[in-house]
Amino acid sequence: MSRDAEREHANFERFARGETIPVEVGEIERELGALWKRASSAGDTHAGAAVSRAALWNLVIPTRGAGALAKTKALVDEIAQGVPVRAITLCLDDPGDVNAGALAGGGGLSATIESNVVSQPGGARVVYSEEITLRGPAGAETHFGALVRALQIPGVPTAALWMDAAMPVALLTRELLPVTDRLIVDTGSCVRPPHLYDLQRLAAQAHPLPVADLGWLRLGSLRLLFAGLFDPPVGGAPLRRATRLSVRHRPRGDLSALLLVSWLGQMLGWRPLRSVQTSDGGLRFDFTRDDGARGDAEPEVQAYLVPAEGACDASGVLAIELAVDGRDDYVVCRTAMDQASVQLPIAPAKAVKLDSYSDAELCVAALGPRGRDPLFAKCLAYAGGLWALEPQTTVSQR
Amino acid sequence: MKTLSEESLLLPNPLREGLVEERIPEPAAMVIFGASGDLARRKLLPALYSLTRDRLLPARFAVLGFGRATLTDDAFREEMRRGCEEFARRRPVDPALWAAFARNVFYQQGAYDDPAAFLRLKVRLEEIEHTLGLPGNRVFYLSTPPSAFAPVIRSLGHANLAPKPAPGQPFSRVIIEKPFGIDLQTARALNTEVHDILAEQQIYRIDHYLGKETVQNLLVFRFANGIFEPLWNNHFVDHVQITGSETVGVEARGGYFEQAGSLRDMVQNHLLQVLSLAAMEPPVAFEADAVRDEKLKVLKALRFIPESDFEHQVVRAQYAAGSIGGQTVPGYRSEPDVSPRSTTETFVALKLFIDSWRWAGVPFYLRSGKRMPKRVTEIAIQFKEAPHLLFGKRGETIRPNVLSIRIQPDEGIALNFGSKLPGPAMEIAPVSMEFRYGSSFGVEPPEAYERLLLDCLLGDGTLFTRGDEVEASWSWVSRIHQRWAAEVAAGRTTLDSYPAGSWGPEAADRMLAADGRAWRLP
Repeated sequence: MSRDAEREHANFERFARGETIPVEVGEIERELGALWKRASSAGDTHAGAAVSRAALWNLVIPTRGAGALAKTKALVDEIAQGVPVRAITLCLDDPGDVNAGALAGGGGLSATIESNVVSQPGGARVVYSEEITLRGPAGAETHFGALVRALQIPGVPTAALWMDAAMPVALLTRELLPVTDRLIVDTGSCVRPPHLYDLQRLAAQAHPLPVADLGWLRLGSLRLLFAGLFDPPVGGAPLRRATRLSVRHRPRGDLSALLLVSWLGQMLGWRPLRSVQTSDGGLRFDFTRDDGARGDAEPEVQAYLVPAEGACDASGVLAIELAVDGRDDYVVCRTAMDQASVQLPIAPAKAVKLDSYSDAELCVAALGPRGRDPLFAKCLAYAGGLWALEPQTTVSQR
Repeated sequence: MKTLSEESLLLPNPLREGLVEERIPEPAAMVIFGASGDLARRKLLPALYSLTRDRLLPARFAVLGFGRATLTDDAFREEMRRGCEEFARRRPVDPALWAAFARNVFYQQGAYDDPAAFLRLKVRLEEIEHTLGLPGNRVFYLSTPPSAFAPVIRSLGHANLAPKPAPGQPFSRVIIEKPFGIDLQTARALNTEVHDILAEQQIYRIDHYLGKETVQNLLVFRFANGIFEPLWNNHFVDHVQITGSETVGVEARGGYFEQAGSLRDMVQNHLLQVLSLAAMEPPVAFEADAVRDEKLKVLKALRFIPESDFEHQVVRAQYAAGSIGGQTVPGYRSEPDVSPRSTTETFVALKLFIDSWRWAGVPFYLRSGKRMPKRVTEIAIQFKEAPHLLFGKRGETIRPNVLSIRIQPDEGIALNFGSKLPGPAMEIAPVSMEFRYGSSFGVEPPEAYERLLLDCLLGDGTLFTRGDEVEASWSWVSRIHQRWAAEVAAGRTTLDSYPAGSWGPEAADRMLAADGRAWRLP
């Protein structure tokens, strides 16, 4: 066997196992094509396993540093189990990265390709989708836009997964958004609520692209459960008489809690009057239902963000409690990582399963119809408006 | 506990607006008649469990099984748990999820024609609804022998368990399994009886074929893609073949099948429903009645087979002994509960025409049979040849373009066309472009019953058969039965035979050969 043939054979074995294969940046498509062709003919003869090469999305993921890259690649592996994508990961090395430049051959860009394999029931394997990683030193982002345009599978929509705040935002806004069909962000990764404004700006720049938020999707189960409390026979009447809302959250979950308050405020027509810092480090928002009310009007509804501790998923939200006429509580309360108790005045409390989704599952959902949720954009804008209210006092009224 | 005011019942839930998470029905209870039977254990409870696993059922949901067998709640739950472990799409069963689900599963013993049993059922149902805070929304699933349909519905009416719809009131819906009647007369009689108690919008006549993803995709394929619909007519389509084949024989259902036969069991419902979706005009909206109106037009446009052409357009046959999957299997007349002189068909092939502008002159060939080599259901649209053949002059065969829509198994769509073989010569070989649900989307589609149960809970009747559709299909099919009955009466039955494991009798092949065509090998 010649050296070239040996190398090709070794590469194919690595490809079939889903391992990374270094390739020349300019040879990515050709190398992938050759490997898929070989995988296809091997699939015909080995164990009858059919080989499908599939991609419903081009998924572009910018990230920075070796640690973040490793996490991103693990995430892509998991996403590929749920939806076939051509993942294009763009990584800028940090100066301290051990492998920075090692693969780049002279400090330029380096590239690897790999397959993501989905196991079929019964043990048959189907080589499924592909992953391209482009890596380079700071400044290499100037090449990323053109490379993404060259590597997009034509006729397949493209999503940009923007989760790493350390990446230069110009890469997204100048290079990626013009060739993107959906932007995916994660409010759950925002360290503090002021980052909300960055996301709002991004969403505004992305308009009219759909913007999906993993943080918003993370809250989906809770929102569904809470909404279900007001299905018949309860109906919507108690919501009109709500006087107090409390969202208990873990310290890093204040943005999720804010989004939940914004959802209810948006859906129930609450108009923000003021915000008040409470003595326990939380916040209170005062609302009126009267469109014409002045800023110093008496609040009709008060919503509290209450820091607390407890077992919780990445959303950080522990409970939603709504008081009606000051007495009837409508509550969804997390009792364990995957359990919640729902309470309403007309029936005994009931324990229900509350699934927590992995980030990869949320990404898969974001690539589906749930990633086109016009309600999110409204709630994000509403949350921005709430956060812009300057807290007035530091008195707890709970 | 607090009671409800009239006002609250009338106000919609604003928090449901704009939720894109999933289509979640309102809290409800489902009563399954025939709950100790096979369908409940193999299909219904596994479907409800999988829906729960996928968070598609409301948190407040109850199942009340009703049947003749004497069972406790716990015994029923255990039986259903075993069914879920064996048949649910979402396996293995999650113990914690099952425990939560099973807490709201109950059982009530009773006879279908016993009014007192239905009054006890009503009391039990109201207790459950009160305890679980359910609003009184109810779905009644008739998973019973067809002879029990009318008695159950009458009993529901007497007990006032399924009142007609009124604004602001909880819903009551009834799912009726097939067969809906055994001919036009009985279908009409059953429709009349059902309509005495229920409004048409409360009735969900189930045909599980319509819950299959590819059948629904047929509408998307035709009406969401601009390139296919212009070809979907007699200018471009040579003919259409619809095949529904099974490898199984009559198994333990010999008694039932003797009365039914393939024409009733498969063609009147499944294949004619598939045909109507494949041939219908675009509906004005993707709404239940708009879609069903168009399907009905197709069924009404089916040309009755004239007496003079009957023998050329209808073939029926019975399987003889043969081999399936390496096993020797007996002939139909040797099956349990089957008469040794039976004239019931286990295979039927039909050539039919739709008298419409779009389909004038295009034959539709339908075939359905038991004990065939493969279990497959597919629609194959065969297109006309190119008007002037540049190629194929040296004797090579150019196969016609075929668009095949596979309903089961391996749901998907394939388009066959000719392509030049690589090399210096101009040689043409058929190639196939395939789309498969399993590989393109990376997930297996949900079970048909999951989709249909969810649709019923949501009040979406699009994938259910309306009363006038049932009567229209029976009207066409009953003419064939009448002709067969006349043959029997005259002592000259035309019944062919085919060996188990074959694609049917030679007469079926001759029917297409007479038109210069052949059956596809699906």
